Amino acid sequence: MTSLLQHHCRVAVNRERVTGRRDFLRGVSLAGLAAGTLSWTDLLSLEAAELQKRGMSCILLWMQGGPSQFETFDPKPGHANGGETKAIATNVSGIKIAETYSNLAKVMNDVALVRSVTSKEGSHPRATFLLHSGYLPVASVKYPSLGAIVAHELADKAAELSSFVRIGARRSGSDGGILGNQYDPFDMASANAPPTNTKPATDTSRYERRLGLLGQLESDFATQSPDEVADHQKLYDRAAKMILSPQMKAFDLSSEKDAMRDAYGRNEFGAGCLLARRLVESKVPFVEVTLDGWDTHADNFAKTTELGKKADQGMAQLIVDLKQRGMLDSTLVIWMGEFGRTPKINARGGRDHYPRAFNMALAGGGIRGGQVIGKTDAAGDDVADRPVSVPDLFQTFCKSLKIDASKENTSSIGRPIKIVDGGKPINELFS
Amino acid sequence: MDPVAKLLAASPSLPAAAEKSSAERAGARIKTVAASQVVGKNSAVALPQDAAQAIDRQLADDVAKMQAAESPASGTSRSPTKQIGDEAFIRRLSLDLLGKTPSAAEVTAFTLDPAADKRQKTIDRYLASAAFGDNWAHYWRDVILYRRTDERALFVAAPLKDYLTEQFNKNTPWDEIARAFITAKGDVRETGALGVIISQFGETNDIAAEISRIFIGVQIQCAQCHDHKTDRWKREQFHELAAFFPRISVRQTMKDDKRSIEVGSVDRELPFARKANGPRGSTEHYMPDLSRPQDKGKLMQPVFFVTGQTLSPGKTDKERRETIAQWITSEQDPWFAKAFVNRIWAEMIGEGFYEPVDDIGPDRECTAADTLEYLSSQFVAHNYDVKWLFATITATHEYQQESRSRRKPNEKPFLANCTQRLRGDQLYTTLISTLGLPDQATPTYGSPSALLSRSPRGQFNAVFGYDPSTRRDEVAGSIPQALLLMNGRDLNRAIDGRTSFTSLGKLLASTKDDEAVVVELYLRCLAREPQSSEIKTSLDYVKKVGNRSDAFEDLLWALINSTEFLHRK
Repeated sequence: MTSLLQHHCRVAVNRERVTGRRDFLRGVSLAGLAAGTLSWTDLLSLEAAELQKRGMSCILLWMQGGPSQFETFDPKPGHANGGETKAIATNVSGIKIAETYSNLAKVMNDVALVRSVTSKEGSHPRATFLLHSGYLPVASVKYPSLGAIVAHELADKAAELSSFVRIGARRSGSDGGILGNQYDPFDMASANAPPTNTKPATDTSRYERRLGLLGQLESDFATQSPDEVADHQKLYDRAAKMILSPQMKAFDLSSEKDAMRDAYGRNEFGAGCLLARRLVESKVPFVEVTLDGWDTHADNFAKTTELGKKADQGMAQLIVDLKQRGMLDSTLVIWMGEFGRTPKINARGGRDHYPRAFNMALAGGGIRGGQVIGKTDAAGDDVADRPVSVPDLFQTFCKSLKIDASKENTSSIGRPIKIVDGGKPINELFS
Repeated sequence: MDPVAKLLAASPSLPAAAEKSSAERAGARIKTVAASQVVGKNSAVALPQDAAQAIDRQLADDVAKMQAAESPASGTSRSPTKQIGDEAFIRRLSLDLLGKTPSAAEVTAFTLDPAADKRQKTIDRYLASAAFGDNWAHYWRDVILYRRTDERALFVAAPLKDYLTEQFNKNTPWDEIARAFITAKGDVRETGALGVIISQFGETNDIAAEISRIFIGVQIQCAQCHDHKTDRWKREQFHELAAFFPRISVRQTMKDDKRSIEVGSVDRELPFARKANGPRGSTEHYMPDLSRPQDKGKLMQPVFFVTGQTLSPGKTDKERRETIAQWITSEQDPWFAKAFVNRIWAEMIGEGFYEPVDDIGPDRECTAADTLEYLSSQFVAHNYDVKWLFATITATHEYQQESRSRRKPNEKPFLANCTQRLRGDQLYTTLISTLGLPDQATPTYGSPSALLSRSPRGQFNAVFGYDPSTRRDEVAGSIPQALLLMNGRDLNRAIDGRTSFTSLGKLLASTKDDEAVVVELYLRCLAREPQSSEIKTSLDYVKKVGNRSDAFEDLLWALINSTEFLHRK
């Protein structure tokens, strides 16, 4: 009786879905019912995703290694420290950026630059942690990264896809931190391959059959450890729901037209940006795309030019594409790395680590484009105007994403930890 | 005589601290600690079985007292559970001591053994097995490395694991192991005992915090920036502890094309000034002035906050570290023994006296304090004999009770052994032994992240591992875990029933009786025989599917994906 009722409810809510999925869900749910672990409310909440309207999303374009400010958005062609990098005009008068960024120059009216970021942390792992979480790493509290925070604050709990997808990162460690491992990223080594283990090991009907058997066998353990079985069943339900969800198509770039793929750039970063747009369209609230290789201790100019072409094409097309789809206002795009590079060019034609004055870029998410925040002195040695700290950046991200930065989460020993500790949002960006 | 009363009567008084003036200075702070919580070697030394009985009696007393103190309304009581059966016992014991489930043959042999003392004998046998060291080395490696602040600390992962395995198998006393960690020097790729220092990359404050957290269970670093609101420790006391560690140096090296890190000492003031977050240039530790952060701050003298013992100024790194290592592991520091006992107890029983296990101390609530007191004092009396502790805990009725889900806060403690999620390594070892797969070696060179990610075990741990200091009810399952177990390519290859290369294929080829195959698969996966209802469900399924190898692949798949497989009962 109950299962019939549930079936009707599901059909009603899920009318547009393929039959295969419905039957599949029924298999899962019946398995849950057999074990006595899936309640009526659970089933209803599974469908709540459909009713949710679009919230805010964030795409972090992470420049691993520390991109040179001189070769990106704060060129100094008139100064010895500027090296061989030339500056070009953009579609906003008065704003000049490095010549590699010719596509971005055409959408500068949608992009805001911050040229006065300053920090003290010059080691890759520590600075990477700092620019991901807003905090320096310490042993006693595992601070969650921005992706985990956004997933925690903005994700629909009944969403089918993972709420924090990370593409091409080569980092390890837990981003969920004190929020728990359910907020760790769903990692994809490449945007061009399906995510790990999401292809069912068998055909769908046999898969359902297996899940049904699992549900039947679980009932014995459930009498002894009901909590564990209930949690396990919910998790398997979510995992199974995800991989058979029609939304998994979002991960498949082959359905995009060649012209679109070309526009983003036929490289891993370009594909990552395109995938990020597709995932945000499927209501994934946080996507991180990594472009690695910015640690240019030697041969800085050739390397930053090559990387810059990819960064420029992918990011510019992402902004254009989001805007065309009416998604730019609800999607904050962040371009940054862990620190900048030294003003002095070293003997190997490279630049070393320099956290004292570096730059980053923002677009969308209610940010007014076409403006520059802060500036460095003529030599690029120091911030000359409006220093922006890392907590200031995180306050800004929260403001854009409508997250209360003063909210406290609790560490494992009961210490309250603010989402952002200190700092003030860069209010000029929103006016 | 009540064992605890006996113990308290025998407790030594607090010996004088090293230097009188400082002892007087610190005396006021530590008086309450010293009076009730010093544990001593003078208590009578008990054999594991006798100690186990004393623990069960004491625990019953402690729980009864709690019941009396509660108002009847809040007394949501559950009855104590029975002793577990042989099958459940041997799976639990094998997971806890050896980090894997017992083989089908082992379960059968154990359950059929008529000997009355077979549980005791198995405990002894397991404690003598090399897998014991492996299992607990994995646990402590994770305790240390999950709190790393720098990925380069992963260079120490393999040597750390090897070092711990060797110590636990040799049964090196815990105080000796702790001293080795605190005083370690050398190349991190060769010196496992550098784990704690390199996990914090030589940072003075972080090393002090971690040594306190790991070895004495006290989260003194909360006092790093301000006096703690609910703790007695003052900000100054944290920085006095940090003053034992400012001379540790960390230097990146390149040997035979291999990147590594050398940990040593700097006992000479370097010609450049110390920067706020910068390189370690100073040979002394300064407590920053919070209102004037740019200043050098106040020069700190090394003082151990628990005992008030003080080291005179200007000592070398070696002297400082050897001294604090002695003081932390001395009998005057009651928290050293309690921290270890509490951790192991929590891991074995599923519920600690203090929770979380790395946040203990005089201002924390302790459940069944007298039981912990007794067990810790016995641990000290046995000279921190690690295997004695395991032998004792596993011999208690408390350990050998049936399991349940974790209790609700308003329910009485310690009435059952709690069901716990397996740690990543336990699950991996169990999975490969269940499926008859080899345990491939971890690579020994490459980038820090490659060291972890290039071995199948490392990849598995990246998905299933968690910080073992976390309360177990706070560790949730994740989607990538479910996906790996459901769809993992290697795993699904290993359950292929149609080839003679897999253990399932061999079983199907050699055993024609379907019921016997069901029983065998249950034994392999869950270390128990199926109940009649489970046999029926399985055989009905085989019949319904029609294809024998498909049906048993599905059964094996379902067993590996079951809650029971992922948990220790």
